[in-house]
Amino acid sequence: MALLVWPGRATTQTDVRIGVKASGTLKSPLLLERFRAGAGAETDARNAHDVVRHDFDLSGVFAVADVEALTEKLTPNPAEQGTVRVQGNVEMAGPGLQFSGEVLDIGSGESVFKRSYPTTRGDLRRTMHKFNDDVIEALTGERGIAETKIAFVRVSGRVKEIWVADYDGENGRALTHDNSIALSPAWAPWGSEIAFTTFKRGNPDLYLFDLVRGASYPFSTRPGLNTAPCYSPDGKWIACTLTRDGNAEIYLVSRDAQTARRLTRNGRIDSSPSFSPTGNQIAFTSDRSGSPQIYVMDTEGSNQRLITLEGKYNDSPQWSPKGDRIVFASRHDAVFDVIVMDANGQNPVQITFQAGHNENPRWSADARKIYFSSTRSGQRQIFIMNPDGSDVVQLTKGGESFNPAAGPRGKKRLQAAGSG
Amino acid sequence: MQRTPRIATLALAALLLGMLAGLGCSSRKQVTTADTTPPPPPPTETTTPPPPPSEPPSETTAEPTAAGLEDAFFDFDAAEIRNDAKDALTNNGRYLQGHGSSNVVIEGHCDERGSVEYNLALGERRARAAKDFLVSYGVPATRLTTISYGKERPFDAGHDESAWAKNRRAHFVSK
Repeated sequence: MALLVWPGRATTQTDVRIGVKASGTLKSPLLLERFRAGAGAETDARNAHDVVRHDFDLSGVFAVADVEALTEKLTPNPAEQGTVRVQGNVEMAGPGLQFSGEVLDIGSGESVFKRSYPTTRGDLRRTMHKFNDDVIEALTGERGIAETKIAFVRVSGRVKEIWVADYDGENGRALTHDNSIALSPAWAPWGSEIAFTTFKRGNPDLYLFDLVRGASYPFSTRPGLNTAPCYSPDGKWIACTLTRDGNAEIYLVSRDAQTARRLTRNGRIDSSPSFSPTGNQIAFTSDRSGSPQIYVMDTEGSNQRLITLEGKYNDSPQWSPKGDRIVFASRHDAVFDVIVMDANGQNPVQITFQAGHNENPRWSADARKIYFSSTRSGQRQIFIMNPDGSDVVQLTKGGESFNPAAGPRGKKRLQAAGSG
Repeated sequence: MQRTPRIATLALAALLLGMLAGLGCSSRKQVTTADTTPPPPPPTETTTPPPPPSEPPSETTAEPTAAGLEDAFFDFDAAEIRNDAKDALTNNGRYLQGHGSSNVVIEGHCDERGSVEYNLALGERRARAAKDFLVSYGVPATRLTTISYGKERPFDAGHDESAWAKNRRAHFVSK
């Protein structure tokens, strides 16, 4: 049995009724009613229920139990303070459908969220993702991620293409069709562009894929490596690895491709930059000490310092969107596992255990989940889990997939932040 | 109607408030400079010729080795030239000096362990280490170019040390 080198081990609690700590927040009890259906919408009501049930389960926010629909008005029960009850109704409406959802606080008996959504059969899944995110925003103050997308690399023989899918792995489709090697997708903060590495012209070059136009453009095609992209939070820079000066160093290249600033200077490998959410710092991998470790520097390249103090091989850092933690992959006892630590390197906690190799960890936009790749079911596939390692769910099946990248919550949210 | 978060305990509320307050500050600070509309595409678009037609994937995993040139193998997570690699590279140097017109591409390859990004950088170091050895042997640098495939083009698809040892290599291809 492998020895665990990481001192902390996340504990998973299942007794959510008393509000125990799970996934860094509280899992709240949610009673999900069987949805009511108008004439002809019975199947749609079942489908809507199943989609949002999966969303609530994946959210990391709720502990869900299925219940029958109420036949009379809800009687408040102060002893059940903190438990909510979700009701839904699907009806035919003209050529389409209408979904109506409501959330009741069982403690007070009051309605805490209510909304109707015009939709169609083809759009029902997306509508329920929106309902899930609306409910989570109403109850916690922070929106969920069910409307977001993920990008990843999918393997087909010798070919690797960039794919996008819904946040839960559904509706996957190939973005690139280059019949080459495409790697390391990274989302622009505005959500309609993905930077990635491709060998399609022979050299590992950085391209930008415009999701609106459905086309990609060369971004950095310097001789040698053009790899490991990460957008700055304001979208004006892309941190990446270039070898144009002879060795893998981290650069900031402006989004208009006009300016490149070198940030690291040493004879060893510097790679895999990840911005802090303020844009003031960058976490990265360097083997300057002899083996790969996680370092942090100011965005100007100054103040470079080692922050991983344990483990001989640490790589693939990503800063949490909240700024407080960094997730990375660590090799120990011949396997790779995912570790979460404070952003200053303190309190490393191993969150995957004895289940193949677990790598490429990436935070979801709300920091409530971590995507990663794992060989636990055979070939590499994309999984999602809570930041304490609980609730592991496999999202991709068939073939081989890796390098997950979680998309942002979208332009609307950026603009909302911009007006605040 | 009360609109405060219903499901949060006081402790969670305090935690969230703290995080929101912290985020709020940094967000606002950035928002003054943040351009939330996407910048236009890089100007390289119009000057770039369309990509050449993609080659169909070949059946073999390995590129054909340049005649007369041997692979140089490496230790795990290392780009230092081993003694057995010195012999191979010395033979290659002798061959290249005897075939003065041939140019070669030196491919750096890695085993499957570790990240895509780190292995691309490691493969680059291996290719450059092999090139530096040949240049110091006397082969003109202009005849040698390097490329890293990281862990993306293994020669042996196995998942054990025997396969990994074959995959950690500098490989020579005629240009």
